[in-house]
Amino acid sequence: MLRVTDVTHAYDAEPVLTDVSLAVDPGEVLALIGPSGVGKTTLLRILGLSLEPTAGTVAFDETDVWAADTARRRALRRRTGTVFQAASLFDASVARNVEYGLRVRRPWRERIRSGIRGLVGGEDAPASVRDALDVVGLPDAASRSADSLSGGEAQRVSFARALAYDPDLLLLDEPTSDLDPRNTAVVEDAVERARARDIGVVVATHDMNQAERIADRVAVLLGDGVTEVGLTEAVFDDPRDDRTRQFIAGELVY
Amino acid sequence: MALEAVGSALVGLVELPFRDGYVPSIVVVSLYVSLVAVSLSTLVSVPVAVTMGFLEFPGKSLVKSVINTGMGFPSVVVGLVVLFAVSNQGPLGSFELIFTREAMILSQFVLATPPITAISLAAITGVDDGVREAASALGGTRIDVALVVLKEARYGIATAILAGFGRAISEVGSVLIVGGNITSADGISKTRTLTTAIQLEARQGRYETAMILGAVLVVLVLTVNTIVVRLSDNGVTR
Amino acid sequence: MYRRVDGVSMSIQRRRFVAALGAGATVAAAGCTGDTTDGETNESGSNGDTTAQVGVAGETLTLTTTTSTYDTGLLDAIHTDFEDLYGVSVDAVAQGTGAALESARNGDADVVMVHARSLEDEFMRNGYGINRRDLMFNDFVIVGPEADPAGIEGASSATDALTTIADAQAPFVSRGDNSGTHTKELVLWEEAGTQPGGDWYQETGTGMGEALNIANQQGAYTLSDRGTFISQRAEIDLTILVQGPIEGGPEILANPYGVMAVNPGVHDNANYDLAMAYIGWITSPGAQDAIADYQMNGEQLFFPEAISEEPDFQQYVPEGWQSDSASE
Repeated sequence: MLRVTDVTHAYDAEPVLTDVSLAVDPGEVLALIGPSGVGKTTLLRILGLSLEPTAGTVAFDETDVWAADTARRRALRRRTGTVFQAASLFDASVARNVEYGLRVRRPWRERIRSGIRGLVGGEDAPASVRDALDVVGLPDAASRSADSLSGGEAQRVSFARALAYDPDLLLLDEPTSDLDPRNTAVVEDAVERARARDIGVVVATHDMNQAERIADRVAVLLGDGVTEVGLTEAVFDDPRDDRTRQFIAGELVY
Repeated sequence: MALEAVGSALVGLVELPFRDGYVPSIVVVSLYVSLVAVSLSTLVSVPVAVTMGFLEFPGKSLVKSVINTGMGFPSVVVGLVVLFAVSNQGPLGSFELIFTREAMILSQFVLATPPITAISLAAITGVDDGVREAASALGGTRIDVALVVLKEARYGIATAILAGFGRAISEVGSVLIVGGNITSADGISKTRTLTTAIQLEARQGRYETAMILGAVLVVLVLTVNTIVVRLSDNGVTR
Repeated sequence: MYRRVDGVSMSIQRRRFVAALGAGATVAAAGCTGDTTDGETNESGSNGDTTAQVGVAGETLTLTTTTSTYDTGLLDAIHTDFEDLYGVSVDAVAQGTGAALESARNGDADVVMVHARSLEDEFMRNGYGINRRDLMFNDFVIVGPEADPAGIEGASSATDALTTIADAQAPFVSRGDNSGTHTKELVLWEEAGTQPGGDWYQETGTGMGEALNIANQQGAYTLSDRGTFISQRAEIDLTILVQGPIEGGPEILANPYGVMAVNPGVHDNANYDLAMAYIGWITSPGAQDAIADYQMNGEQLFFPEAISEEPDFQQYVPEGWQSDSASE
């Protein structure tokens, strides 16, 4: 579904990523593991079609994303969803947040009409919104305001927001690093349920155990690109690279 | 009319040495001129602020400097410039705007736009980058992202509009020059506002009356501010 | 708003159209009431161009004048009669002498009423003002603290009084704003042959009422028009030390008011018809009586001057103008 080839990205003179090649398929969970600051977020944004790499190709469903025109690219981008490390919810109700993705995908005339309806009478949250909230374990939260949520709840709503419009590719940037174990478990369960819907999931994490728990494959980033990528078990049990071995063992200090 | 009711209510509180209908009529003119000017200014300022918050373009810092300078621009100078423009000799002379409320609206539009733009811009750029990124990453077009940012910045923008209104309704220099402080012979205001009425009383040495009118003005501004703050609080589900 | 339609200003077309409408309506109304009045209506207080004959009805006259004139309340008191008579409205703009004349020079006024003869003369010489009439007069008084430190009380010469003040360096408040009062004050200093200046001479740039307040607080002398002084007398501790001609003082303190129409030859948008109607009305016996009847605090403020059996040619031309002097 998504394939990046020889992707390099540099913000200034120093390249953050060098010659990265990865693929993501529907219904699988790929973990990007590596220490903080190594470029996981950058790679995630490239995979999410939001950031154009300095060099290399990004292909979604065989289409070269950055060679295509703006409209086509937007259409492809709209098949992805991102959950950031900070929930970044909008200052509105949970329902308004979760349905944002649905709302912006509707034609303008419909949006105006339902906006007017909303002013006059208020509408019930659409089914996909309730369903998404169900997946993250917050079925009754629709009418609450975003700023009344705890940190864990906010992150879960952020997940539901990315899920509500049924994306093909879901990208999660360290989604549970600020969460307590209970919320972490809920999010990991949500990842599993997304995978069961044939969504391709990419999770950036520095938590080895999490990667082992949820990922089908892992890509290890250690400072100059992807040092290793393969099935989780394979990488963890028998890493090919010494540095990978050290990192997994927690011995590498950055 | 509601505005006249407000005016009469305010007057009823105090004994003023004026004919019936005088004070309500100047309240109406004050409100009409400033509210229309601020509304028009908002329609221009907020899109400008949004554009500046999202786009980079050549000369952007120059525009910012102009706006910030405009915030401190003396109202009487704006009045002179507008006078020059709408005078019979000026480029807009054929519209016969001199000594009309429309000319006053024009000069207050010029006065209100810089603060509304600058404060809205601050509110818009103050919106968390993460929110912008999320709105974009979840599939929003640039318009969608702009709308999200606008909504996030709505309290700041409301503050901006109130700041613009405050500047407009309490200025005297420009509306005096372009409006002429005119009432009809029976005392009903045509281009006289609370501020120019205060100035009239003061120049005649009637300071106490001037102070009372000043109090009316303060109450008026307070009322408008309260209404706006109350309205924006209603939009919050806390 | 004007739009060009086939090169003809829309405003003229609109006026003709409305006049035709009005004429049609009038004829229809006449038919209904059985009244035949030659299609001419003379409803007082009616708004809108009802017929083409009563040309000024519904229009607005812009009159610029001085703040002291306006602040006496005279204009608001008498203008209603004029408005009702012609079915028009008067926008009286109190700007101060200099600004009033400047507005007229720019074509933003139709008629101007000030009391600064030298400035009026210049206005006429430059072609902006025509059909000047003497309107009314009051006078100036020199006021000061009761203690009268400079000792000018009862002086019969205003210029001597000012010289005495200058010599004593007693505090003096000047309007300093090119108003009619200030213009008169400068004329007095010139006649006295004294250049005022120094710490004792303060130019305030304020209106007359404020200037009196300032003089009051500082125990200073000042030149004031009688009207403003009368209206403020209760609140300040100054008293009249040199009278004006109304109460027997020197003629030089007379304060005559003139009214002029803005020359349509210079500004074709000036409402000349209405300006002349106004000048005609305000110099008519009825209005002149109303002016005389106007009182403030029980005292007459203005003395009408327009009606006179004897000819007064000087009111029509700049002072001292002779027919064989060089014309510009």
